[in-house]
Amino acid sequence: MVTRPATGGPAALAEAPAPQQREAAVQARVAELEALLGDPTDPGNPCGYHAVLNADRAAVPFTRGEALLDDFGMNREFVPSRLGGRLDSIDTLVRVMRPVFRRDVGLGMSYGMMSYMAASDVWMAGSDEQQEWLAGSMLRGAKAAIAQHETAHSNQLVRSQVAARRADGGGFLLSGGKPVINNLARSEALVLFCRTDPAPGSRSHSVLLLNPGELPVDRSRIVPHQMPVGLRGNAFAGLEFDDCPVPESALLGPVGSGIETALRSFQISRTVIAATALAAVDTSLRTAVRFDHEHRGGGWAGARSDAQRTDAAATGAFVNLLLYDSLALVAMRAIHLLPTQTSVYSAALKYLLPRILTETMYDLSIVLGAGFYTREGTLGIFQKHVRDVPVLSLGHAGSVACQATVIPQLHRLARQSWFVEDDAPAGLFRPRAELPPLHTESLSLACGRDSLSASLLSVAAAIPGRSPVEKALRGLAGQLVEEFRDLRDRVLALEPADRTTPVGPASFALMDRYALLLAASAVLGVWRHNQDGSDPFLADPAWAAAALHRIARRLGAKVPDLPGECETRLRHEVHVRFSAQRSYDLYNTPIPG
Amino acid sequence: MTAPTTRHSAVLADNLHRGWLLDRLALYLNRPADSIDPTVPLAEFGMDSVAALSLCGDLEDQFGLYVEPTLLWDHPTVESLVGYMAVEIPRVGEDNR
Repeated sequence: MVTRPATGGPAALAEAPAPQQREAAVQARVAELEALLGDPTDPGNPCGYHAVLNADRAAVPFTRGEALLDDFGMNREFVPSRLGGRLDSIDTLVRVMRPVFRRDVGLGMSYGMMSYMAASDVWMAGSDEQQEWLAGSMLRGAKAAIAQHETAHSNQLVRSQVAARRADGGGFLLSGGKPVINNLARSEALVLFCRTDPAPGSRSHSVLLLNPGELPVDRSRIVPHQMPVGLRGNAFAGLEFDDCPVPESALLGPVGSGIETALRSFQISRTVIAATALAAVDTSLRTAVRFDHEHRGGGWAGARSDAQRTDAAATGAFVNLLLYDSLALVAMRAIHLLPTQTSVYSAALKYLLPRILTETMYDLSIVLGAGFYTREGTLGIFQKHVRDVPVLSLGHAGSVACQATVIPQLHRLARQSWFVEDDAPAGLFRPRAELPPLHTESLSLACGRDSLSASLLSVAAAIPGRSPVEKALRGLAGQLVEEFRDLRDRVLALEPADRTTPVGPASFALMDRYALLLAASAVLGVWRHNQDGSDPFLADPAWAAAALHRIARRLGAKVPDLPGECETRLRHEVHVRFSAQRSYDLYNTPIPG
Repeated sequence: MTAPTTRHSAVLADNLHRGWLLDRLALYLNRPADSIDPTVPLAEFGMDSVAALSLCGDLEDQFGLYVEPTLLWDHPTVESLVGYMAVEIPRVGEDNR
């Protein structure tokens, strides 16, 4: 049986309280978008995989997809409701963007995420006038672009810098350039990070909000960029300045606030992109299951060991998606519920993107065999996602950048929060529960507190063990508590010289373990706080036990085999969701194929 | 704790803070305390976010002073930090009385 989350019909809805009406409206929007985008495996669908792959081969923007998103009014999702849009919660944004990422990561990034990342800085730091201007422009369908500051060890997306010096008559003169800006040539707004002070330190950068179309043509130049391997259809270009004048009113926030704006903004953008990316790997799993169904029925796949291997690969991938989505859910909801603690959760999630999502795609490739190399037909989407998903780890949220966000906080967390912090609120773990409004000013760069890991301890201590699977879950949770205790001891044992300049390799390994333990905490929290029966699958201990089993093995713990019914339950769910056309994530959403 | 009120005690407190601060920084930057020029931004001696946040934690442990993680952005030198401590640490005492 497919486990369908309970939702009322239209009659029930009119009398439902406001939070339920809001939730129903979100579900309706997701369903509308899925229906508009249609069955992606249908070769005649102008927005299906066939069309997506044709655009990718030609390395052009996927115009049919963009036109469809224009018609849907996707830009409204990026503009706060107070400014006339529909953005009021991060988790809604992710749920509405997942249908796009399911089909085409490139479209999702170029159409949506780039504009959202740029706009997010404006919603956070802009004046009323700047916010209204950008909201107006985006609600008319225009795009926004962003050029971020350079890091010490940069990649092309963040390399090189723009310097802004005070002009005699007021305003700034820009010089320098940025080689890779997504959508530059077709954006009405550009959020540009630039250096306003040559001194070292974190108060030397500022942010400007510009209209690239209004830059003086004799002082600025758009430079074409070579084609990348992933996100081939994205319109990258560079921008160069030669003493280019911009007015004082272009400043976004105070002079010197650039790094602070960026570090706050990253907490949202890392979470949104990492959480949405899951939908691409949902497609990878679905594609592998479809391939397996089509070929196993043909009579030639008689070898039993092969069937076992492909089943194990598919259930393993499903478990990875669920454990990753548990942390994604927590990170998204923490932005609303625990904004001061979000820096750690968003960085841990983005850090795990290549470790879990990219790896899952490669694990699934054994199901496809040589089909992995196919670039056409329905199977071709698998290859495209393999090229596109890793690109999401570039920019300002590479693995090391995410580790560098967490490592400085480890010691303080170990000393004053771990094992003493109060439990996280239950709402952190409930996929469709109402969220309080977003207060981006509460996002903190570091706070020394972690309520999520407190849930690992409290849930682990109260697992009843009513069935063999639940007993297994209890045992695994207990082992992970010991791993967490060991992590705390190791962090506290670091000598000051090991944990500061330069950071020793031990800190990177400890951060890796911490990220996995946070994922385990999220899994346990989601299982524990969804026992009300609205989703029987989430209430079942099978997925949680399998998820903790994978995490414990990644941590190198010796774990007993799971009870056989655990694997059976999950294998069954993989095939049922495939046949019933439901998503492979915590939301279990209906999809058209 | 009583806040230093006379000029004499303020100078004493500053020296105490400076000595404590330089000891911590010497540890984090892995260099002798007397090689840290109090007027040069600490970033030039290799002070990074790890050391900066560690120092924020130390201020909390030692003086009960809760500081923003951006403390060193706005007070990038030893001189500036000592000035900050001279103002803020007595306030902790006042709040606790």
